[in-house]
Amino acid sequence: MLKMQNLSKVYRTHMIETQALRGFDIHVREGEFVAVTGPSGSGKTTFLNIAGLLEEFSSGEYLIDGVNVAGLDDNARSRLRNEKIGFIFQGFNLIPDLNLFDNVDVPLRYRGFDSAERRRRIEQSLTQVGLASRQRHYPAELSGGQQQRVAIARALAGSPKLLLADEPTGNLDSNMARGVMELLEEINAAGTTILMVTHDPELAARAQRNVHIIDGQVSDLEHETRRALASLSTTPEAV
Amino acid sequence: MEVRPILSAMLRNKTAPLLIAAQVALTLAIICNALYIIRDRLSTAARPTGADETNLFEIRFYPHRPIADIRGMQIRDLEALRAIPGVRSVAWVNQIPLGQSSWNIGGLTTEPGKRDSNIQATYYFSGGSLIDTFGLRLIEGRDFQSSEVVESDPRKERAEPQVMIITRALAELLFPGAASVVGKSFYLGGSDDAKPVRIVGVVERLQSPSAPAGARAELSMIAPITYLDGYTRYAVRAEPGQRERVMAEAEKALLALSNDRVLLGKGGFDELRARRYSGERIMAGLLIAVTGFLLLITASGIVGIASLWVNQRRKQIGVRRALGGRRVDILRYFVTENAIITTAGVLVGLSLALALNHVLVGAIELPRLPLIYLGLGALVMWLLGLLAVSGPAWRAAQVSPAIATRSV
Ligand SMILES: Nc1ncnc2c1ncn2[C@@H]1O[C@H](COP(=O)(O)OP(=O)(O)OP(=O)(O)O)[C@@H](O)[C@H]1O
Ligand SMILES: [Mg+2]
Repeated sequence: MLKMQNLSKVYRTHMIETQALRGFDIHVREGEFVAVTGPSGSGKTTFLNIAGLLEEFSSGEYLIDGVNVAGLDDNARSRLRNEKIGFIFQGFNLIPDLNLFDNVDVPLRYRGFDSAERRRRIEQSLTQVGLASRQRHYPAELSGGQQQRVAIARALAGSPKLLLADEPTGNLDSNMARGVMELLEEINAAGTTILMVTHDPELAARAQRNVHIIDGQVSDLEHETRRALASLSTTPEAV
Repeated sequence: MEVRPILSAMLRNKTAPLLIAAQVALTLAIICNALYIIRDRLSTAARPTGADETNLFEIRFYPHRPIADIRGMQIRDLEALRAIPGVRSVAWVNQIPLGQSSWNIGGLTTEPGKRDSNIQATYYFSGGSLIDTFGLRLIEGRDFQSSEVVESDPRKERAEPQVMIITRALAELLFPGAASVVGKSFYLGGSDDAKPVRIVGVVERLQSPSAPAGARAELSMIAPITYLDGYTRYAVRAEPGQRERVMAEAEKALLALSNDRVLLGKGGFDELRARRYSGERIMAGLLIAVTGFLLLITASGIVGIASLWVNQRRKQIGVRRALGGRRVDILRYFVTENAIITTAGVLVGLSLALALNHVLVGAIELPRLPLIYLGLGALVMWLLGLLAVSGPAWRAAQVSPAIATRSV
């Protein structure tokens, strides 16, 4: 689904040069649920932004769903984002002046679907997140957890293959966070690949695979290793 | 296509869009009318007099002391002027087109004794041929014959002309629908002793000296009168391209003939035109300035509010980009938003323009606003809006999609 090789990202501001990612290698297979963890400033958001084509990288190679990203122009990147990628942000990022229906409609209009198709998709995805009855409500009339569900509906409406979430539960209390996490797990179970940055070890533990980023580099805890570690730590309780 | 969500988002924060729309409406109402007044004034100022203006000039004198032989002086003056090389025609005149001061006679009528006629015309007279000297176009009849010229001494009795040449405009007013007016008579007033005046010719056009706006401008008549007044005014028509030199020589020649008079003035007809219409030109200039200023203010308003919105919505723009919006989609969003506001303003502005015109038609002499000015004004406002929003919209399109995850 997603493959980065020896990728690097350098931010240059007038005085400082920050090496946000270096020698970055990762391979995410279709259908995986990957939790990305790491200390603050380690490059998690940078990784997600590059994965989601929101930013360009400085060197290396990146393929998404078999498409080599290097050399794509802005329009092609926009189209790729629109068709293959869904975003969920920590701050929800719903458009405050649009009701839920119109919020979910935003990426669908960019996609160029006709209005019947858009309506069908909007209703379906809002139903999936349990907010079908609130279509005419505005974001400010919802709780944080509900807003994040709308954002998920918006990300899902275009049926993307890859869902990118940067601390999707960072602004939610643990109850709401759990609800959102369950929703993501459902979505993943239906086949969508998910990359989720989180600071919450409990949530990270629920993902299939954990990727730890330190200082702009991956220290990938492979599935098996993590399982082994998990079983080690849970064994005493089980006994 | 994207209008509905943009509109509904806009309706959630109505104040600023309403203010801009109101500004557009007011500007449109004012510029439509201003453009029309400008156009009206400039076309008033551009009306032809019927005279050969480019080659004509006038020269005027006033005597220091009473002149004994006025008739002799006029004959000598005219001879001296005709002797200047490059002179095509010369005539003593009582008044000239664009000269502003004029002789007028009211109560003109075709029925003897009719006292309530409101037809008034300006009264040109000369012992010479104004058709030749002014270069008028005779469309019916003939010029005066020398036997028809009467002499009038203002110190004595007033001489009455027997025949006249009138303009087509006056002919149509006196004899509506008549195919021919030559040979017909009319009366200079409704008194019982008013004698008939016979029309011998009709000229296409001769504007009155005051040249009022509207249909009264060309109500003129010409009488064959040699007027024996010490004040003299000559109209001189030079050969093409000779006027400036002839004018200088004319002054010299006439002053050499007699030194007991002063030059009151001389000048080409185009100078007279400039003087006559300076008010119109100032008015037009003022209105152009006001129009330009208003357009500038409105454009600045749009630029200001659009820039503010772009800055306020940077995050939203980033999110839209992240969700797959291309740069052109963002550009289109702001342009559409602006077009909605401008269109609302234009729609209100059109009715406002008509209302303002209605007031102006009553207040100043101005015909109804032709619809083309409304169309033109609307187009100007749309283009202005587009131009004003293009900068902020372009900046919006440059917002990086990374804003969506980076800023809080
Ligand atoms: N636009 C930018 N310009 C310059 N430096 C940047 C920019 N964005 C990020 N950085 C730097 O890149 C490094 C990685 O940042 P990044 O946001 O990826 O960290 P993170 O792991 O997401 O941190 P956090 O957990 O706090 O969100 C940091 O040192 C950060 O200061
Ligand atoms: Mg981050």
